[in-house]
Amino acid sequence: MNNDICFLAEFDGGSPARSALELAAGAAGLAAESGGAAVGLAYGAGAAAGAASLGAAGAARVVVLSDTDGPAISLAAAAAATIGDDAPLAFLAPATPNGRDLAAALMGLLGLPALGPVRAVRIEGGRVRAEQSTLQGTVITVSESMADAPQPVIILALSGTFTPLEGGGGAASVSTAPSSDAGALGAARIVESHPADAAVANLEEAAVIIAGGRGVGSAAGFEPLNELAAVLDGAVGASRAAADAGWVPYQLQIGQTGKVVKPALYVGCGISGAIQHRVGMQTAENVVAINKDPDAPIGEFADLFVVGDLFAIVPELTAEIRRRKGIPS
Amino acid sequence: MKIVVCVKQVPATTAEKRYTADLRLDRAASESVINPLDEYAIEQALRLQEAGAVETVVYLSMGPESAAEALRRALAMGGEEAYQVTDDALAGADQWATARVLAAALGKLAPDVALMGMSSDDARGSLVPGAVAAIRGLPLLSYAAELMLTGSTARIRRLTASGFDVLEAPLPVVASVTDQVGEPRYASLKGIMAARRKSLETWNLADLGLSAHDVHGAALTRVVEVRPPETKAPTERVENLGPAEAASRIADWLAARKLI
Ligand SMILES: Cc1cc2nc3c(=O)[nH]c(=O)nc-3n(C[C@H](O)[C@H](O)[C@H](O)COP(=O)(O)OP(=O)(O)OC[C@H]3O[C@@H](n4cnc5c(N)ncnc54)[C@H](O)[C@@H]3O)c2cc1C
Repeated sequence: MNNDICFLAEFDGGSPARSALELAAGAAGLAAESGGAAVGLAYGAGAAAGAASLGAAGAARVVVLSDTDGPAISLAAAAAATIGDDAPLAFLAPATPNGRDLAAALMGLLGLPALGPVRAVRIEGGRVRAEQSTLQGTVITVSESMADAPQPVIILALSGTFTPLEGGGGAASVSTAPSSDAGALGAARIVESHPADAAVANLEEAAVIIAGGRGVGSAAGFEPLNELAAVLDGAVGASRAAADAGWVPYQLQIGQTGKVVKPALYVGCGISGAIQHRVGMQTAENVVAINKDPDAPIGEFADLFVVGDLFAIVPELTAEIRRRKGIPS
Repeated sequence: MKIVVCVKQVPATTAEKRYTADLRLDRAASESVINPLDEYAIEQALRLQEAGAVETVVYLSMGPESAAEALRRALAMGGEEAYQVTDDALAGADQWATARVLAAALGKLAPDVALMGMSSDDARGSLVPGAVAAIRGLPLLSYAAELMLTGSTARIRRLTASGFDVLEAPLPVVASVTDQVGEPRYASLKGIMAARRKSLETWNLADLGLSAHDVHGAALTRVVEVRPPETKAPTERVENLGPAEAASRIADWLAARKLI
């Protein structure tokens, strides 16, 4: 056993995903406290070439699990072999589908404790403690692994739990995972890929999100939201009701079964604020809601609640911001 | 072809939650429902059965005795029979222990597909499906927007960052579904009556060949603190203003926070 902090570094389109940079920074911070090293386990197309660059993000060492895309759960045996007998203190995984599946398989294969999805992690008296928003955000729980549980403790981190480091750090030393048989976990394969015609915004990285719900009424109703998003350099998101209706692609859905977002500004238009939506946006720094129902639940947790018709207010707001920014309309 | 749908009883999202002295959720004090995403798994299984791709739909739940209610509700939606794993030694089970126990029960039931909701309302770790697959040594098809079964293979449609993928694995598999598989049906009165006559068998740990030691006293993790979320500043309300005025107030508010 050692005091290292391992993290999963997912590569996406040839470069480290945002989650890899966040977890590298998180692992570096925790490793500084635990007296160990931040060790990345990289996978996805481009991982081999890009592994060393994770040094600047906080990693001391990086082990390449795979250099191709595919279901990450097939890498569970390789990850287990990498951990080997000299188990690190903690293992950070992104709370993405791939990250969760790989972490889950590792938990099952090695009988490891797992915490998460968490929103904060710290080390207290040499033990890892994780803070979690549970029961649909109604309580905060702090958890740890049992003193006699095996190491490492797996920690699923939501996007935005850690902030990427800005520059600094040299290249990480890079090695390749010992070859291992994926077994049945490698048997699920992608047999068809159907990318959408148009690119879809990555809401997890947006600083400003203008979200529309059932109140927007139609696909065309999203046009004023698009314009407001444009003047704020933001992205458009949606409730499930709007995605279910086919007004926007499902990739824009925010909530329990959609994206968990953490923008500096979230503006909800015609969204009631159901608990399943709320769990996807409650960590936004500033929440504005525009709703014609003065009793809408979103009015209970928004920072600014504007009662009124979104179709009247949103275009006025876009025009007002244009005026203040000096953007010609 | 047999599907076992794993069903968890959870506190209703509207119910008031209470904690016991040892920081476990007091499940007896909260109104309980079938985990909503598990209802989607049930719906997917029943649709496959109606389409003739599946003969038998079986339910499996681990939980306190009172969780039998969730299984009766599932049986009222459809399906043939149910199994409940309940044992005092499992109180406060964490995700690992849950996966270990479900994997053992699934070993006895030997379905072609073990189907689950992608996450539970009260934990949201989404770790149980992958862990069960790893323990059982089976392929995992997770986050399915649709499950399809043909011959000896299972296929799913899964949303990606911009579109969707189709994944395939040889049966038997473990699979999890999202809320895109189709809205869960309501139990009919006839279904509720029929459910009373369907078989619901109860197992304890020993029936699964497990001891309390095998599940590490039900958990590898523990909660050390429970507290309410941080209280935020009260909501500022803007009401009874014309659109231009309201817009100007919002712009002032954004400017004060350096958001424009
Ligand atoms: C298992 C499960 C998972 C789910 N996951 C998600 C999820 O990930 N994300 C999600 O969003 N939901 C999710 N839901 C659905 C959720 O419960 C709600 O049904 C959904 O969020 C409601 O969307 P909405 O707020 O757009 O619609 P509604 O609740 O119908 O609210 C529409 C609002 O628009 C307002 N309005 C109407 N017209 C106007 C106007 N002209 N101007 C201003 N306001 C107007 C109304 O006053 C109302 O408050 C999930 C549900 C389940 C069971």
